[in-house]
Amino acid sequence: MTAPVFLLTGGQVVLGGRRILDEVDVRVEAGEFVAILGANGSGKTTLVRSLVGLVPLAAGHLELFGTPIGRFREWPRLGYVPQRLAVGGGVPATVGEVVASGRTGRVSRFRRYGADDRRAIAHALEDVGLADRTRDAVATLSGGQQQRVAIARALAGEPEVLVMDEPTAGVDADSQDTLAGALGHLSNAGGSVVLVAHELGPLAGLIERAVVLSHGHVVSDGPPPQPEGHHADPTHVHGHPHTGEQPQRTGFGLG
Amino acid sequence: MSIFAYDFMRRALVAAVLVGLAAPAIGTFLVQRRLSLMGDGIGHIALTGVALGFLLGTAPVLTAIVVAIVGAVAIELVRERGRASGDVALALLFYGGIAGGVLLIGLSPGGTPGALVGYLFGSLSNVTTSDLLVIVGLGVAVLAIVAVFARELFAVCQDEEVARVSGLPVRFLNILVAVTAAVTVTVAMRVVGLLLVSALMVVPVATTQQLTRSFRTTLLGACALGASASVGGLVMAFYLDVAPGAATVVLALGVFLVFVVLGGARRAVAR
Repeated sequence: MTAPVFLLTGGQVVLGGRRILDEVDVRVEAGEFVAILGANGSGKTTLVRSLVGLVPLAAGHLELFGTPIGRFREWPRLGYVPQRLAVGGGVPATVGEVVASGRTGRVSRFRRYGADDRRAIAHALEDVGLADRTRDAVATLSGGQQQRVAIARALAGEPEVLVMDEPTAGVDADSQDTLAGALGHLSNAGGSVVLVAHELGPLAGLIERAVVLSHGHVVSDGPPPQPEGHHADPTHVHGHPHTGEQPQRTGFGLG
Repeated sequence: MSIFAYDFMRRALVAAVLVGLAAPAIGTFLVQRRLSLMGDGIGHIALTGVALGFLLGTAPVLTAIVVAIVGAVAIELVRERGRASGDVALALLFYGGIAGGVLLIGLSPGGTPGALVGYLFGSLSNVTTSDLLVIVGLGVAVLAIVAVFARELFAVCQDEEVARVSGLPVRFLNILVAVTAAVTVTVAMRVVGLLLVSALMVVPVATTQQLTRSFRTTLLGACALGASASVGGLVMAFYLDVAPGAATVVLALGVFLVFVVLGGARRAVAR
């Protein structure tokens, strides 16, 4: 029995004096594909950020691969994809350079990248369909393509678990399909995925479990909600405003 | 009469090449993080260090290095806590550095603010043989640090949070950038002067990126431009009898304008 990838018990996060998460229990097993769902402001992003150690817990206990986070050192086993690829720096960088930087944690600073490293980087670029854009400056890519660069950067490190914050937000349909394909490969190879989502779109078929948050609490944890009624129609446009106090349980969006 | 006939010019040229290589090398990482003014902040603080050297009767370079490193680490620690306050902290360091320098030089025996001018704008005859050894040693150290840590520094400058999750020692690397920048500033102050050091860290980077797409080419190109500009500036200073720092920076800015036009033309053709 392998240790769970993430084991959070009684997790509490306080930011700026406000309790963002309270008594959150989340367990992600190796190989699982888990979506974190919930309305805006429900604490989804804070939850994934606390799982990877970017936000400290005010209370509770977190283990990564069976090790308490304070003693955890095997960071290359994790891949993290932020909401947006940072392209605002003052110096240009190519797609290839940014993706290659995802492998930095794996290679000694005194060693050059070897054949294995180059293979992993090339593979990550192919997986997100950007192999032909390697030499282009990231700033010249569309928002969806930049999101794919951020995912390729995480994949280049060959992580066992990929943690993603709204990978599909503002991403065109083509990029969403490519993303679904890349995550499918990772999942088939035994990798775990934890992602925050507002709308599942092409990822719906991959999700094995959904953790639904509301006001900083887990309100449901189980099989993903199935599309119903007109939401099941693949051409359905999810267009209602995301302002509800409670998640609307009508379909994929939950927003 | 060839400029190589003079010992002090030969020393100054060696120093200029090293400073011209080292300043843009670390400057590229500052520019990427939008910390272009950090070199200026450090330069101002270093002036207090120079004056402290006069006051204590020790070598101004040594006190400048120590004070500049302390100041750079302070800037970095403030920056870590949030960008808005970092901006104000930088401004406070500018004023404090200059005021502290002038105050301390006034307190030191026989010191006048005029003694600081050579450090503010650089001076040809400034570079003695022992100075040159310090410049070469520290310049090579800066280049070695950039070469060894380039990959990690790039990852941290690209996205600090992603770098943290991938296990990089983010805080150590940030302080390494600050300390390396401080050392570069004090090494370069003999050649280009404290007020213009930062230009040599920033202008070559801004210039090359008009024509480049990759970080690597920008960094290497900026080093080549930086070395050319500082050697060219030194030669210009020798023949025109002007301050080398000013000549170097005017030369670098001229090349910048040429690259802006070239870059604009290339983009127009591509369209």
